[in-house]
Amino acid sequence: MILPDAELLLQIVDLHARVDDQPILKGVNLEIRAGEIHAVMGRNGSGKSTLSKVLAGHPSYRVTGGSVLFRGEDLLALPPEQRARIGVFLGFQYPVEIPGVSNLEFLRVATNARRLERGEEELDTFSFEDLVHERLQVVQMDPAFLARSVNEGFSGGEKKRNEILQMALLEPLLAILDETDSGLDIDALRIVAGGVNHLATAANATLLITHYQRLLDVITPDFVHVMAAGRILRTGGKELALELEQRGYDWVDQELADQELANQGAPALGVV
Amino acid sequence: MTAPPNALSEAPGGSAASLGDLVSQPYRYGFVTDIETEKIAKGLDEDVVRLISAKKKEPAFLLDFRLRAFRHWQKLEEPDWATLKYPKIDYQNIIYYAAPKQQQDKKASLDEVDPKLLETFEKLGIPLSEQKRLSNVAVDAVFDSVSIATTYKEKLAEDGVIFCSFTEAVEEHPELIERYLGTVVPSNDNYFAALNSAVFSDGSFVLIPKGVACPMDLSTYFRINSGDTGQFERTLIVAEEGASVSYLEGCTAPMFDTNQLHAAVVELVALDDASIKYSTVQNWYAGDENGKGGIYNFVTKRGQCRGERSHISWTQVETGSAITWKYPSCVLQGADSVGEFYSVALTNHRQQADTGSKMIHVGPRTRSTIVSKGISAGHSSNSYRGLVQMGPKAVGARNFSQCDSMLIGDQAAANTYPYIRSQQPDAAIEHEASTCRISEDQLFYLQSRGIGFEEAVSMMVSGFCRDVFNQLPMEFAAEADKLLALKLEGSVG
Amino acid sequence: MVLASPVSNLHSAWASRLLEGLPAVTGDLAELQRRGRAALAATPLPQQHQEDWRFTDLSPLTALTPRWRKACPELPSDLPAPAPGTLRLWLDGRGDPLAGVVLPAGLTPLSPAELDGALGHSLAAVGCEHHWPVQFNHATAGRCLALRVSGPEPISLELVSAASQPESLLPLRLLLLLEEQAELELSQVLLGSGSSLTSLVLEAHLGRGARLRHAVIALGEAPACLLGHLAVEQESESRYQLSTASRGWALARLEPRISQLSGAAHTQLTGLQLAEERQVAVTHSWVRFEGPDGSLEQLHKAIADGQGRSVFNGAVRVPRAAQRTNASQLSRNLLLSPQARIDTKPELEIVADDVRCAHGATVSRLQLDQLFYLQSRGIDVELAANLLKRGFCAEALQQLPTAAANWRPLERLLRQGSPLGELP
Ligand SMILES: Nc1ncnc2c1ncn2[C@@H]1O[C@H](COP(=O)(O)OP(=O)(O)OP(=O)(O)O)[C@@H](O)[C@H]1O
Ligand SMILES: [Mg+2]
Repeated sequence: MILPDAELLLQIVDLHARVDDQPILKGVNLEIRAGEIHAVMGRNGSGKSTLSKVLAGHPSYRVTGGSVLFRGEDLLALPPEQRARIGVFLGFQYPVEIPGVSNLEFLRVATNARRLERGEEELDTFSFEDLVHERLQVVQMDPAFLARSVNEGFSGGEKKRNEILQMALLEPLLAILDETDSGLDIDALRIVAGGVNHLATAANATLLITHYQRLLDVITPDFVHVMAAGRILRTGGKELALELEQRGYDWVDQELADQELANQGAPALGVV
Repeated sequence: MTAPPNALSEAPGGSAASLGDLVSQPYRYGFVTDIETEKIAKGLDEDVVRLISAKKKEPAFLLDFRLRAFRHWQKLEEPDWATLKYPKIDYQNIIYYAAPKQQQDKKASLDEVDPKLLETFEKLGIPLSEQKRLSNVAVDAVFDSVSIATTYKEKLAEDGVIFCSFTEAVEEHPELIERYLGTVVPSNDNYFAALNSAVFSDGSFVLIPKGVACPMDLSTYFRINSGDTGQFERTLIVAEEGASVSYLEGCTAPMFDTNQLHAAVVELVALDDASIKYSTVQNWYAGDENGKGGIYNFVTKRGQCRGERSHISWTQVETGSAITWKYPSCVLQGADSVGEFYSVALTNHRQQADTGSKMIHVGPRTRSTIVSKGISAGHSSNSYRGLVQMGPKAVGARNFSQCDSMLIGDQAAANTYPYIRSQQPDAAIEHEASTCRISEDQLFYLQSRGIGFEEAVSMMVSGFCRDVFNQLPMEFAAEADKLLALKLEGSVG
Repeated sequence: MVLASPVSNLHSAWASRLLEGLPAVTGDLAELQRRGRAALAATPLPQQHQEDWRFTDLSPLTALTPRWRKACPELPSDLPAPAPGTLRLWLDGRGDPLAGVVLPAGLTPLSPAELDGALGHSLAAVGCEHHWPVQFNHATAGRCLALRVSGPEPISLELVSAASQPESLLPLRLLLLLEEQAELELSQVLLGSGSSLTSLVLEAHLGRGARLRHAVIALGEAPACLLGHLAVEQESESRYQLSTASRGWALARLEPRISQLSGAAHTQLTGLQLAEERQVAVTHSWVRFEGPDGSLEQLHKAIADGQGRSVFNGAVRVPRAAQRTNASQLSRNLLLSPQARIDTKPELEIVADDVRCAHGATVSRLQLDQLFYLQSRGIDVELAANLLKRGFCAEALQQLPTAAANWRPLERLLRQGSPLGELP
């Protein structure tokens, strides 16, 4: 929902980032306020996951320019765990498997780290189990998954549910969900989307990265952004997603070419 | 008697469909060239070393190099750590220098080369004469101890590429030889390298100057002709900054029922951004099915990625020799340099191969790949022996090794001995190895699609080797495939 | 002719000093002692130019001056309570561990004649009777705990030893005969501290269909050293499951050697070793299949930190008789410090075509992506690293017998400081 006086949660200004010395993000601008749901779409390889990983602080990505403020604080200066503790959550496109580390213990340690940050008490094993079982309902996940190692041997859909379970436990202010819908069967999609809706409040915000309208049918975005070549090329309302569904991304090339031309006319700042 | 459960195991005679009945193809290159040869007397001592050097009118530094190597060699013991079994080599019963009579000095033009020699190479599929020679490959042809001809020398010289026999290089570019010889494989490196350093007779020298991509593939063809002579050649390839070259090596020998010793040394040097691709198809005479005769192949091959971002790639298809002892290696010194080793080793009958690679990661972010495919048939033994080492400074270095063996018949041995050492936490090593045989299900599937038994087997074997063949220059890849099929005939069953 | 180097002189002095202090040979093992001492006097200490000892730095061993003195005067009082249904025996290398003990049904000591017939059989079957650590054990061990296991009831046995006295020596010699279908859980706990040396030789013969679940929890404190040979013969349809875990020794070298006498048996080897500070942790395993249809599942894990060195050598031999063998081996190594070192060498020798053999080895530090995943959930780096280390180790300690699990090896392997310290 768009609220007039809502708090500005995330402010990205002219963000540039590289991986392996290759520029991927080339000037991303984005503002997200409490209560809002944003969708980011765009071709494969356009930089969506890169943006999400940069926000979460993945060490392989090097920020080479621009700034990111989270509730006015320099997000980029914080180590990844601190970003999580203050309420930035990334649901991974490809959650890693961690053999030998118990899912339950992992969830407890993570939840407590977030609670401490919020000035809440740590939960002991028993109260935590109660909490987990309650949150399991949100994603309708079998408690048996708690006894297994983190994501190990989970099917694609199970991994995604486990991501949403973590989100339900950590209660983030900003949830970035990178293709949480891909790999889900129809029921699972409804459950996961229901979970996301259930967790959305006027105080938090969601950034959905997706390729499909079917997710946006269930979670209605307030804004839709199209990413291309490491930038946000266009922003619109939920109709933009429908339009993309019909027209595909061919127009992107035209628009990029136009911008290229325009740029040649007016050299970028700093180039003499 | 019921059929054996495994059609690939020793089948009772007469079963047409058994792999064992594929005929043992005679060795195609087993002929002897009847040519008058100048040989020195058997045996090895300091005088022989001096004699070889004198015959080649070598400068003092080279004689010194030989003598130092010889003195060191005398102190060494023949290594016995490989899983190889062979009677003790009598180093005094070998001739260390043999050259075709007519060929005392390298001829200025091919017309002066003994036609018998030209004919020999033509029979081997390496025509040297102007009209017939291969159009895209320059060849240095080595016959016993000497190089008899090098094609396209002048054309290559236009680009500043030096490609000549080692002997010529010593005469014409002594300063380059002095600068690079023994800097990758020191004369005291190991028993066989020391022996080679003392008595090497010829070989090839290549220098690709700064920034030049060599306009054609370079190739050396080694032919051992005489029955009691050892071949000790030396190859030295230098790629200067930004240069690149693809080099091919081929080898054959006549069939004798005695063993001949081949102890070669190959040194590669790659400076900044240079790249050397070295491919070998080794088809020395392997001995007969009872293990009589064949070449003892003890070779030291090493490349040094001296410069940053340099690249050395070894590809080998080892099908011949009674014994193969060979570990083409890369010393990855320059930051971001890359080493590769792709190998197919096939052993049949009583052949023994102990081969693999060493990847020594010294510099940061160096990367290496090892892909080794061993196929053992008959009573042969085929071992992969390798070393991957991450030194303390190899920050961010990576290695991936894959060593697969295929066993054909229940009398052949496949062994794997990878040594892995890391002293750098920020380096990652991954090694995988597996052993398999040709599965009957797969064979049956192919046969049920109308593919003949033999063809099905050779399809499976070449599929098994695909990753390696893909690395070979195109003409070589086809040849290697055929060679493998030939070699396998009579093995499977 | 190789001239005696200063190193080998030092080594022979080490051995002769030890031999001089030994008491006269006596008892059931007299003959073995005599042979062991003669061999020890004649053979130099292993040297790094020998392939089997290439990566094992023996200096922690030669730094010790073990003498014939009791390694631990009495049973330590702070041991965890024995698991219910488990018989705990205390091995001090001298006294009779069975004195005053009522053995459960199915467990009987071997008679001297039986012992005489069985001693050395398994060692010979796995080809290590001439190994230096075995000869060392023979030279010094005065007693062998030899038991026959029979009957349908599973038996749980716990063997505890501790070496703590300075310059002391704890020789442990064990022999187990599992009859057909017999079932035994054997938990061995080896504790060592101070300048002590523990030498273990175990022989086990598993009859047809017998099952042995075996755990060796080796917890030490440098400069203490441990040398252990486990020689196991398996008849067909038997199952041998071994879990070893070691930490803290200046030098620990464990050599599990298994022969499947006629194949068709199952062997599962799981090892975990930590090498920190200047410790050297070594495992040399050897498995040979003498008949068809055998299987091996092996996982070896190692962590090297500080200036520690970890060595793994895993030999698998599949001769012609061993058709349809299925063997897999995985060596996983974590290298956590730039001064630490890992050497790993799987070795496979196969002469049978219808087999499935695979091995793999990895060396790296903790996976960056896994660390990041945990961090991205608010867990700080140090804790995340510990969780990952714990996960890495836990996988290797999953199948311990209760008596061994009772010692909480995971906590002891991961706790700060010595593994022998109090646990919370
Ligand atoms: N670690 C990396 N190393 C090299 N290139 C990378 C790395 N990570 C991302 N890239 C490259 O950056 C570009 C953007 O990748 P990114 O994963 O952000 O795309 P995406 O928009 O999320 O695509 P998709 O829709 O397929 O998930 C791609 O070209 C990708 O190959
Ligand atoms: Mg993506």
